[in-house]
Amino acid sequence: MNSFDQSALLLTILVPLAGAGLSMFLPRNRPNDAWYFAIFVSAITLVISIGLFVRYDFGVGGYQFQRIYEWLDAPLNIDLHLAMDGIAATLVLLNGIVLFGAVLISQTIKHRTRDFFVLLLSLGSGVFGVFVAQDLFFLFFFYELAVLPMYLLIGVWGSSTIFDPDRQRLWGIPIPFDLGSYNRPKEYGAMKLMLVLVAGSVLIWVGILALYVASAQVGQGTFSMVELGILAERGEFSPAFQNWVFPLFMIGFGVLAGLWPFHTWSPDGHVAAPTGVSMLHAGVLMKLGAFGIIRVGMVLLPDGAEAWMPVLIVLGTVNVVYGAISAMSQRDLKYIIGYSSVSHMGYVIMGIATLHPVGLTGAVLQMFSHGIMTALMFAMVGAIYERTHIRDITVLNGLMKRMGFASFFFAIAGLASLGLPGLSGFVAEFMVFVGVFKTYLPLAVLAVFGAALTAIYILRLLARTFYGEPDPRWEGLNDASPVEKSVGAAFVLILLFVGVWPAPLTRVINVGVDSVMRLF
Amino acid sequence: MVWAWLIPVLSFAAVPLIILFGKRLPGKGSPLAILAILAGFAIFWVVFAGFLSASPDTEGCEIGVGTEALTCNFQITWFEAGIPGADTKDHDRIEVAWGMTIDPLTVAMLGLATFVALMVQIYSLGYMHGDPRIDWYYAFHALFIASMLTLVLADNFLLLYVAWELVGLCSYLLIGFWHERPEPREAAKKAFIVTRIGDVGLLVGILLLWSQVGSFSMTETFAAVEQGELSQGVITVSALLLFLGAMGKSAQFPFHVWLPDAMEGPTPVSALIHAATMVAAGVYLVARAFPLFSASDTAMLVVATVGLITALGAATIALVATDLKRILAYSTISHLGLMMLSLGAFGYTAAIFHLLAHGFSKALLFLGAGSVMHSTEELDVRKMGGLRKVMPITAILFSIGALSLGGIPILAGFWSKDEILVAVNKDLPVIFIVLTLLTALLSALYMARAMFVVFYGRFAEQFEHVHDAPPTMWITMGLLAVLAIVFGLLALDLPGPFKGIGYAIFYHEGHGLEIVIWLAAVSTVLAIAAFIYGYLAYARKSVNLEGARRTFGWPLKVAENKYYVDEVYQWTVDRVVLSFSRFIAWVDRALVNDVGINGPGDVTRVLGDRLKYHVTGYVYTYALAMALGLIGLAIFWWVVSG
Repeated sequence: MNSFDQSALLLTILVPLAGAGLSMFLPRNRPNDAWYFAIFVSAITLVISIGLFVRYDFGVGGYQFQRIYEWLDAPLNIDLHLAMDGIAATLVLLNGIVLFGAVLISQTIKHRTRDFFVLLLSLGSGVFGVFVAQDLFFLFFFYELAVLPMYLLIGVWGSSTIFDPDRQRLWGIPIPFDLGSYNRPKEYGAMKLMLVLVAGSVLIWVGILALYVASAQVGQGTFSMVELGILAERGEFSPAFQNWVFPLFMIGFGVLAGLWPFHTWSPDGHVAAPTGVSMLHAGVLMKLGAFGIIRVGMVLLPDGAEAWMPVLIVLGTVNVVYGAISAMSQRDLKYIIGYSSVSHMGYVIMGIATLHPVGLTGAVLQMFSHGIMTALMFAMVGAIYERTHIRDITVLNGLMKRMGFASFFFAIAGLASLGLPGLSGFVAEFMVFVGVFKTYLPLAVLAVFGAALTAIYILRLLARTFYGEPDPRWEGLNDASPVEKSVGAAFVLILLFVGVWPAPLTRVINVGVDSVMRLF
Repeated sequence: MVWAWLIPVLSFAAVPLIILFGKRLPGKGSPLAILAILAGFAIFWVVFAGFLSASPDTEGCEIGVGTEALTCNFQITWFEAGIPGADTKDHDRIEVAWGMTIDPLTVAMLGLATFVALMVQIYSLGYMHGDPRIDWYYAFHALFIASMLTLVLADNFLLLYVAWELVGLCSYLLIGFWHERPEPREAAKKAFIVTRIGDVGLLVGILLLWSQVGSFSMTETFAAVEQGELSQGVITVSALLLFLGAMGKSAQFPFHVWLPDAMEGPTPVSALIHAATMVAAGVYLVARAFPLFSASDTAMLVVATVGLITALGAATIALVATDLKRILAYSTISHLGLMMLSLGAFGYTAAIFHLLAHGFSKALLFLGAGSVMHSTEELDVRKMGGLRKVMPITAILFSIGALSLGGIPILAGFWSKDEILVAVNKDLPVIFIVLTLLTALLSALYMARAMFVVFYGRFAEQFEHVHDAPPTMWITMGLLAVLAIVFGLLALDLPGPFKGIGYAIFYHEGHGLEIVIWLAAVSTVLAIAAFIYGYLAYARKSVNLEGARRTFGWPLKVAENKYYVDEVYQWTVDRVVLSFSRFIAWVDRALVNDVGINGPGDVTRVLGDRLKYHVTGYVYTYALAMALGLIGLAIFWWVVSG
């Protein structure tokens, strides 16, 4: 092990955290300095995460870059144990990329810039921590570190959505309730997000304590996921125990993954959040939930997972179809992407729930693909909103002529979203279909159908927003700034690369999936 | 032959180059696209020669499963997913390859696609001259043809699906190329979504085959079918699912609605879509998966029936349509129906032969229509007439295409249509051959109508000053016309080693040209009669059509309204799909969120609001509570202790 391998995992957590700490000492009235410093910090984390991904030896597999920093002795036995397998390696890479992109895009934050980046970097640090922690205590700690800053990020820097009440008609007949109006202040979005996610955390914490107690009953009580994993593999946890603990993790983590019917925090949260935060939120944060179900739920409670998967896959299918149908009648660009995220996280959930190696690989690849794709969409919507101050697709029109680059990048992300081959979304969704097809055939047909529904709302959005005669209102509009263009171009290249040649990712994910699947 | 992959790859490579540097290149990058496809066309001849000299001993080549024709496969791994090293037959791992298969069908399709695309791209130089976004036009074109070539080369179903979707995307982009106007925008969306719904079937079918065979490879799948590893039910269901995809792409009833609307794209695009790319894909898929289809009688009958319904229905619409491009569009749908019918009747050779012959003729017709539109900016045939006076070259070339598709002897369309009739007559109930002959008659009739109304008869004075097509346009049309004339002769046993197309493209075993004398005679008489009638009715105006219009008033109206299929779709989308979506969105907001999520929050707040009053700060309140509590406990103790 060279020195990079020894310290890299710790650095992914510490660098952004230290960056956040140091940012506090920057002068308050120089927003650009805070931005430059955040770019510097996130660039370092990006390099480290790429290094980790590249240096992960998929020929050997398993957990690599292991480091244990002892913290509390018996009876608690809590250590900062860091390690990374193939699944985590992919997601660490994703977080490095999206964090860097989100920081770049946040150039437009001019209000309390320094504080914004303090919170954003802490959030990034927490996400890295969840992916690499091998101790339930620290996993939970980092989980909360990733979730809590969202409240302030949305509450302070977010934007409220108010649509004028626009009474709707159903089949031409006026109806007493109106279908199209929203009134969602950003404080509501922030509060709901926080409360729902904390409620989920409570379930997770109960589950973690239950595991600790159960391990204490058969020997030394521990929070170490490695030791708990060994106990699980030896079958020390009774099926009855697993059957009541697994749903705690399934729902608790599932809430963050946008699991139906606990998903409504997600569209409202996405919409209220500022662009950079939406990118991280939809791009990476939701993946924490899915990752938690795999890493904690499936690995530590395999019997419980097997018993509960039929429920999970039905919920995942509902996510896919319900999210797509809901997205079809949204008018706000960000709400469309928000519901689209709910729909796409459904594929992740389905892939996990198949307990099939190909399906699970697809789920992880979908996390990566969706992370990049949705971050790109939010970045471009942010660019559009910044200039037009409109997100209503019935009002926007003909942006292609004035904002060619932004429109082009958004269109590519949209095509990835509807599962166009050649872009990353297709490969991932296809693997999920394969897995579901082998395990729950009727649901697979529904899932494929859901992908066709995606085409409807994405094409509707593209046609309404970007095509058409340029509107005189957009006469003086500037196209995406150089920063936005470079982020857009980079993300588009990633989508294309993964779509055309997914092997560099899949061969790493495969070994991670392999070790998970050995339990089943 | 190993270099066949270069044919699509060259065009793929042209795409990013044109997008990135097109603005700075001469002709905005259009020569790049043309050079790519020209090179592709050249390589096609190399591949063709290589294939002719290949034998089962050549590396990678063998006698194909099912087809019994020489088939060469080349592949490299694309990606794997699942447990590393697991056996793919156990379904714990999938392995997908970039692979190509070269057999007579592929070679034929490669030739058709590269040639027509080359012609269309050269033609577009004249047609799209001066368009501000010509770089994007050529980029999409290159992507389109590259995808189509990948589709015909693909040796596994997944790669085929990849190319299939890309073809759909490109037709979306090109149909909606003039997106400033609302019609192309809507037409593009419609094309993509309608075909996408068919693609759900295709993808499910591919997955179903995978779940049985454990591989996406066509060769392995067909081998499994051949060896009886698949149950009859699976074969039928998967064939029908694949056919759903083919119906979407090849515009078969009831998925045909997107094709006429696709006219909103630039006319050369229509030529490409109708002749060589998009719609050919569906027919190609059924032909490619023929070992699967032919193993199920039910599937074959469905293919034939859908084909016949499509062919006949579209022919009647074409007869009454008034937009020149729409006449051609419905004609395409009708002929695609005939190809499907032929496939369903085991007329494999006939279907592919007709696909090729129709491709050349239809590309010619569309380019001719484009030439008319380019000069007159008019598409309504009722306003045209006698255009041969001002555009003689276009008139002659268009007429050749029309006569060929109408089935006039010697021309290409005659031979292929005759082959189809023979196949239908051989295997299907008699009603099929009757209706097929009726379709043949109608198709000659609408072709005669299009040709005579537009180019012959009384000259429409307002077109006094229009001029004929520029050289880039008429030269390409001329080349296509040559093929529309002579291509049919390939059906014959020519002097030399070539013994007729039946020995080159065949399923199971080669066969020579089959002619059933009475069928050939009937179809020839019908075609010639139709053209004579068309001449009299539309050019000389010596037949009065008013009487016929009155007699057939009601059916005519139904046909003119395209059997109201579009209306049904529109109603379904507006009233059912969108209403349902709005309802779900409302449920999400009002029930799931406002009740399910806000509910507990509101309850907590209200509870807290109420409960806070128990903390009054007065001693007597607490004393009362204590007293009540004691009494309660006493009662509880009394009850428990019994």
